[in-house]
Amino acid sequence: MYGGGNTFEGIKTDSIANEDPILLAAFEARIERGEKIEPTDWMPQLYRKQLIRMIEQHAHSEIIGALPEGTWITRAPGFKRKMSLMAKVQDEVGHAQLLYSAAETLGKPREQMIEDLINGKSKYSNIFNYPTFTWADCCFISWLVDAGAIVNQLANAKGSYGPYCRALDRICAEESFHLKYGHHCVIYLASGTDKQRQMFQEALNRWWPPMMHFFGPADKISAHTEVLMRWKVKMGTNDEMRNQFLDMYVPKIWELGFTIPDEKLKKNESGKWDYTEPDWEEFKRVINGDGPCNKERLEVRRIAEERGKWVRDALKSPKAKYIMPLA
Amino acid sequence: MNNQALKELLYKMADDQLILGHRNSEWTGMGPLLEEDIAFSSMAQDKIGQSLALYTLLQELGERDPDTVAFTRSANQFHNCQLVELPNQEYDFSLIRHFLFDTAEALRFEMLSESSYEPLAQLARKIRGELRYHTLHANTWIKQLGTATPESIERLQKSLEYAMPFALGIFEPSPYENELISSNIFLGEENLKKRWMEKVESVISQTNLNLPDWNLVKPELGGRLGTHTAHLQPLLDEMSEVFKIDPTAEW
Amino acid sequence: MLKSLDPRVTRLPVVEIAKPKAQLDQFGTYEVFVEPKSGKPFQHEGSVHAPNLEMAYILAKETFTRRFTCSSLYVVDTRDVYVSSMTEGEQNVFDLIEQSESTNGTSDFEIYQLIKRGKQHVFLGSVKAGTPQEAMATAKTKLNTGKIVYNIWAIEANKIRFTTEEEKEYWITLPEKKFRDASNYKGGDKLKRFLEKVNS
Repeated sequence: MYGGGNTFEGIKTDSIANEDPILLAAFEARIERGEKIEPTDWMPQLYRKQLIRMIEQHAHSEIIGALPEGTWITRAPGFKRKMSLMAKVQDEVGHAQLLYSAAETLGKPREQMIEDLINGKSKYSNIFNYPTFTWADCCFISWLVDAGAIVNQLANAKGSYGPYCRALDRICAEESFHLKYGHHCVIYLASGTDKQRQMFQEALNRWWPPMMHFFGPADKISAHTEVLMRWKVKMGTNDEMRNQFLDMYVPKIWELGFTIPDEKLKKNESGKWDYTEPDWEEFKRVINGDGPCNKERLEVRRIAEERGKWVRDALKSPKAKYIMPLA
Repeated sequence: MNNQALKELLYKMADDQLILGHRNSEWTGMGPLLEEDIAFSSMAQDKIGQSLALYTLLQELGERDPDTVAFTRSANQFHNCQLVELPNQEYDFSLIRHFLFDTAEALRFEMLSESSYEPLAQLARKIRGELRYHTLHANTWIKQLGTATPESIERLQKSLEYAMPFALGIFEPSPYENELISSNIFLGEENLKKRWMEKVESVISQTNLNLPDWNLVKPELGGRLGTHTAHLQPLLDEMSEVFKIDPTAEW
Repeated sequence: MLKSLDPRVTRLPVVEIAKPKAQLDQFGTYEVFVEPKSGKPFQHEGSVHAPNLEMAYILAKETFTRRFTCSSLYVVDTRDVYVSSMTEGEQNVFDLIEQSESTNGTSDFEIYQLIKRGKQHVFLGSVKAGTPQEAMATAKTKLNTGKIVYNIWAIEANKIRFTTEEEKEYWITLPEKKFRDASNYKGGDKLKRFLEKVNS
């Protein structure tokens, strides 16, 4: 699961000037005609750096994203939900595995990426810094946060880097179950008892503001990313992705009789969605460490890594040399 | 066919799998290696799925639906062995429990594939492949960690010694052993225990671990009769927390 | 102790501050090849981090074949995959493969080809050779159809951990595990009944 990520910071494009213009032109022509870039191809430094950052952030979002829903694994109501939630959270770990591998093909070892997650250097999708108070909060994530992630993933699957595309193809195939499962859970809450309906309405009220942050800052306050669009690293603007999500899912939420806590939310005459401008200061605050669960999320990862260290140390081969995965 | 004896057998098997599957699912997202996290979770899902299959057989024999049976009984109504309800502790314990329990499980289902109770025999034959993977996984981890470093060997050794009395509780005899054996439903816990001991010895002998003397281990019994450790009720309370908000609701 | 909404997290032990991760804390990688259905060719699915070949097999089975369908699987150390150069556009990589010194080697090599950038490598065929280079040259003469291929892998069979015949039963129940299938979550009827009730 992945949101657009933080694009407040500008991207330093100076390094492009130092690249061999002939190689650069051939590289851009390949992307232009829709041919994928593979790990052994020549690529500009900036492309490699930005892709590592993006894929790595996506991977971290998956492994951290396993935690808010993981909160409810031991308490899922009934066999069906129990087994499905286990499978879904397992998939998130699986997606992290696939994405770390894709990022590794660009030259950054997995231990370095995990290290950077734990020490706070690398970011992950901000929405996971919020707590899942109830089963209904868990269902919100399973349905709507996954829905948001799928909007991003479907777009990124058409990007230029082969390994990332392959990982996303697999991820999108597995996500179809997640989305259907999430919607199924919410339909049952909506059509259930008053208590169940209320549980979801309250969860929706809590999660709507972070969901509006999910696709990243509004275009008008975002840093310029033309080169990333040209290189098919970024496949749509934050606002475009957000609008697509609203278009697909607000009607489905309203259909179930729930109210969304934004009076301004409506589709305007031009077909785009109007909404109250999200609080981008709050977003900045939380993504920089001051959210309700930031500390806990990283601490859980750190503890997991430390507890597992003896296992990995025991089986490590002293003669092994590092080599990147192939594809 | 003695339904009481059969139900007793099905209940204890289903309860074992449900509780162990639940315990193992606690590792999801927190495992020692991403790929192993994924594998351990798959096996936990298999266990829960197999318990569901067994509770479904029970429902066909007149018991209540699986959700009610699993999510509303109290600890003293459960027939799992105490081994499976123990908290996870560190990965060495979870792996040792996985090895000890799944070895018995695979052998139990192997024996049951000849059962006179056809639905159970069919289930046993169907899941043989799943159990084969579980034991391949367990044996490989125990053999590799059991020969790796002083730390891994010491950890496994301690866990093995701690778990063994509880593991013997898997084979606590049922009040219906004779009926099960004479009606060919199941060839009995004694028989299973013998095969299990041989298998366990054969794997442990390929490691630097020392098996406790079978004659000196005092089995922790009681689970099959509803006597449990202090750990089971909190586990069940947690498992049924949302379900019990409204047991008549559909989730 | 961490206070959390997640009861598993509140049970977590206290651990010391970690030292930075050593190199290869996450082990080396093994490439994973899957036969999605009996009769279909094996294809490359990705890689797993594992301490050794046998563990790689066990971990690959759940990392890559826990969903959809699978009839067989095998793994090999990434370092044992011999890789050709990567071509683009209209260039067939087979044209770049040089004639190799003929040994009298009879090792089996699995040959994989990439026919579209961005897609997966798919099994092309087996050849006998003494070295990976010779295997590629032999693949050029024996397996190349003239169709454009962008990349070739050659893998010596004796470096591979295959699935044995008896092991194929691992995947027998895979199609029945519907709790992970999107098709198992048809909320449509329940939704319809709910909407009818609400609108009545």
